[in-house]
Amino acid sequence: MSRQERSYNPSRRDFLAATGTMAAGAALGMASAPAAAKKHPTRGGVLRFATRVDGRGLDTHRNIIYYVSNPLAATTHGLLDLNKKMEIVPGIAESWDISKDLKTYTFKLRKGVEYHNGRTVDAESVQWNFNRIRDPKTSHAFTRASLQDVEAIKVLDPHTVQIRLKAPNGIFLSNCVYYPVNLMAPDSVEQADTRPIGCGPFKFVSWKRYAKTELVRFENFFETDAEGNQLPYLDAVEGYPKREDKVRLTALRTDEVDLIENMAYSDVGGFKKNYSDTYNTWDISQVGTAYLAVQMKEGPFSMQAGKDGKMMRQALAHAIDKEAIHQVVFNGLSEKLNGFYSSSSPWYMKEIDNVKAYDPDKSKWILNKLNAMNQPIAVVARASYQYMRNSGELVHAMLQDAGFKPTNEVFDNPVLRKKYDKADYGIDSTANSYRFEPDGWYARNILSTGKLILEARAVLDAEKRKEMYREVEGIVNDDCGFIYTHCVPLTSAAHKRVKGYEPAFAGPYNIAGAGIRTAYIES
Amino acid sequence: MAPRPRAKMLFGISSRAGRAYLRPGCYLKGPGKVHSTMLVYTINRILQLVPVVLILSIVVFGFVQALPGDVIDTLADEEMIDDPEIRKALEKEYGLDKPIHIQYLYWLGNVLQGDFGKSLVTRRPVSIELIERIPATAYLALVGITLSMLIAIPLGTLAAVRRNTAADYAAQTTSLAGISIPEFWFAILSILFFSLFLGWLPSSGYYSPAENLPKSALYLVLPAIAVGFRQAAFTTRLTRSSMLDEISKDYVDTGRSLGLSERRVIYKYTLRNALIPTVTISGLQLANLMGGTVVLESIFAWPGIGFAIYEGIQLRDYPVIQAGVLVLGVIVVIVNLLVDLLYRVLNPRVGMG
Repeated sequence: MSRQERSYNPSRRDFLAATGTMAAGAALGMASAPAAAKKHPTRGGVLRFATRVDGRGLDTHRNIIYYVSNPLAATTHGLLDLNKKMEIVPGIAESWDISKDLKTYTFKLRKGVEYHNGRTVDAESVQWNFNRIRDPKTSHAFTRASLQDVEAIKVLDPHTVQIRLKAPNGIFLSNCVYYPVNLMAPDSVEQADTRPIGCGPFKFVSWKRYAKTELVRFENFFETDAEGNQLPYLDAVEGYPKREDKVRLTALRTDEVDLIENMAYSDVGGFKKNYSDTYNTWDISQVGTAYLAVQMKEGPFSMQAGKDGKMMRQALAHAIDKEAIHQVVFNGLSEKLNGFYSSSSPWYMKEIDNVKAYDPDKSKWILNKLNAMNQPIAVVARASYQYMRNSGELVHAMLQDAGFKPTNEVFDNPVLRKKYDKADYGIDSTANSYRFEPDGWYARNILSTGKLILEARAVLDAEKRKEMYREVEGIVNDDCGFIYTHCVPLTSAAHKRVKGYEPAFAGPYNIAGAGIRTAYIES
Repeated sequence: MAPRPRAKMLFGISSRAGRAYLRPGCYLKGPGKVHSTMLVYTINRILQLVPVVLILSIVVFGFVQALPGDVIDTLADEEMIDDPEIRKALEKEYGLDKPIHIQYLYWLGNVLQGDFGKSLVTRRPVSIELIERIPATAYLALVGITLSMLIAIPLGTLAAVRRNTAADYAAQTTSLAGISIPEFWFAILSILFFSLFLGWLPSSGYYSPAENLPKSALYLVLPAIAVGFRQAAFTTRLTRSSMLDEISKDYVDTGRSLGLSERRVIYKYTLRNALIPTVTISGLQLANLMGGTVVLESIFAWPGIGFAIYEGIQLRDYPVIQAGVLVLGVIVVIVNLLVDLLYRVLNPRVGMG
C-alpha cells in the first residue's frame, strides 16, 4: 500500500464537520470522553520508527518498556502522564488529592477511558494493576521499587482510587506515570506475554523480536488535541530495531524508515549540515547522565580507609579532564556536569559546592602526600555502550598522567555485576538514565547521604526539595564517590514528511500533547 | 567422430554398469551392491549421531554454566534491591538452585520431549525464539551458498579450462579480492553503492518469504551478495585447482584419445570428479553460515540466530544459548552427514565402512 493511500484524505464534509465543532472541542479539551473527539484534518499515515533496542518481552509489568527507544511504550499508559518538559500532567487520573501528612493520595479517574479490549479503566483495575506490580512473582524489580512505599490500595468508587503509603512521601506522583508503572487490562493477563492489552494511544498488533513491531491507532484513546481532535493522528506505527547507529541513519537516508532515534555523535554535525533540507533533527539534551563510580567497599579508596580514602578519591576527581571527554567521546555535543542534572532540566542546580577542578598536579601532590604514587586502580566499563567504553579509555590515560597505575577492562553486564558484588574494581565508567523525579536517582544510588534524601522525599514543595538536593550534590562532590562527568545527549531525526512530531527533552516519544501522539505523515 | 566401441564400454553412455565402471574403485562391485552398502552406511552414520549429539549436549550445557556471571545479575540490573530473598526466589523459579547434574538431566529430559524451556529474559518458549530466528538464518545461508556456487563453479571451471588466459586471470583476481576484502567491508560498500548511491535496494531489514516473497527477495539481495561473494571467492579457487588436478589425470587423456568431445570430457566427467571437494567445502560453509554471521546480521539488521545467541550469551540466558547451540550443532552434524553421503555418491571410491 502506498503512503498516499494509507494517509487520511479528508472530504469536504469531514473538513466542515471538523471546523464546525472546533470551538466546542477546544473548550472540552482533554476532559472530554472519546465520543466528543473528531478527526484531525491531516491525520494518518504509518510511521516507520527505527530504534536502537528492542524489548525483552511484552508483559509491561515484568519487563522494562524503555520510554525512549521501545515502540511498545506507545501501547501503555499510567495514571499520570508526561509532557514535553518531562513534567507530570494528568493522564487517566484527571485530578488528585494529597493528604496533609503526605501519606494518602486520592486519584479521580477520567470517565470513559478504555483498555484496548474495551474494558473500562476503573478504580478496580488500577488496584489490580498496582497489586500485580507489587508482587515479586509478576513484576520487574525496577517497576516494583516504584511502589515499595505503598501500604494499601482502596477503591472508593468506580472512578476513585486511594493509595495509602507507609511513610510521608511528596514524590509519589512520579511513581504513577506510565514509565514504569503502567496499566494493562486485568482480563488479559493470560496473554500479557503474547498479545498485551494496554490503554495507550496505540494497540499492539504483532512483535517479532529484533525484526518488527506493529501497532495501530487506538480509536478510543482518551486524549484530544487543543482543538478537540482525536489523538493520536497516525494510523499505525511500525518499529524496526536496528542496533547500529549508522545502520539506522542509512535506513533513514534510503527512505526505509521515517524516524530514527540516536545517531552516532560523529554523524550529527555533518548530517545537520548536509541534509537539513530533507530531515528534521531533535537534540535530546539529556537522555542520561554519565559519571565515574568509585568502588568504596574496600581498598585504598573506600569509606573504611577514612580520611586517606577520601583524599584518594579526591585525587581521582582532580585527575579527570571533563573537557577532553566532552570533545573526544561526545564530539562536543554533551554538557559537562557537576551534578546529576543538565541545564535543560528543571532540576538543574547552578551553584553546587565542592566541585573538583581538573588539576593533575594536585592529584600527584595528594598521592605523594599519602605515599601512594603509582597506586594501582582498575578502570572498568560496560561493553554494551560505546561512550562508556570510550570514556573508560580516556579516564585510564588521565589517571596514568596523574600518577596512578591504572588498568582498563571492558565487561558484559553479568560479569560487571559480579565485580560490583565482590568489590573487584577501582572505578567504573558508567551512566544512569534521566530521572524526571530526582528521588529516583538520589534515593536509589547515593546511599552515603541517605538521611537528607529521605527528608527531601517527605517534602512536597519542589523548590525546597531542590535546595536539599543541592546540599546532597555538594556532599557527593566532596566525597567523590561519584564523579559526574557529562549528560548523555542523543540526536533523533525524521524525514520532513513527518509532521507534528517532537520528543520530550529527555527523549520519550509517547508524551502528552506532542511526540508520537500528534505526529502524522504528510501525503 | 562417433566413439569407438571400447570408448563406449569405458565411458558407457547407455550402460548403467559402464557408468559405474567409470568411477574408479567401483568396478569391483556391482551397482546393486553399491546401493545396499550405501543404505547400511547411512544407517550406521545416523546411529553414530546419537552419541555425538549427547556429547554435544553435555559440552554445551557445561560451557554455558561455566560462563562468569548469571542471569539473575542480568535481570537485576542496576535497580535491583539487593534482597537475598528475592534472589533465592528467582533462582528457585528458574531452577538454578538445583545441582548442575540435576539441572542437566532435567533439561535433557525436556529437550527429548521437544521442550527447550522458557527464555529467562523474555519468558517466551525458547522454541518460539528459535523458530523466529532460524528461518531467517537458513534463508540467508542457503541463498548465499547457492549464489556462491552459481558464481564459483562456472568461474572456477572456466579459469581451469582456459588456464593462463585473460579469463583465468580475471577469475583469479576476482576471487583474490573476495578473499581479501572483509565481509563487513564489502557489505558496507554494497550498501553505499546500491542503496545510498543508486537507491535500488533496501539497506537493512528482513521480511519473511512466506509473508511477502517479492519484498523478501528485495531485502535479501544485499545480504546474500555479501555472504555469497566471499564464499564464492573460496569456492572459485578450490574449483579451479581441483579441475586442474583432474584435467591432468590419465583418464581425461584417455577419453580425449578415444574421441570424446572436449565438452563431454570436461563437463560430464572431469567436472563431476572435480566437484567433490567443492561440494564438501560448500557443505561446511553452509554449516558454518547456519551458525550465524553476527557482524552481517548487525549491518543488515537481519534477525538471525547468530545475534540471538550472542545476545543470549551477553544476558546469560542459558536456555536460549543451550538450545541455540544444540540445534545449530545438530544442523552442522546433519549437513556433514549429507555432505558425506553426497561425497560417496560422487566418488564411490571412498570406503563405506
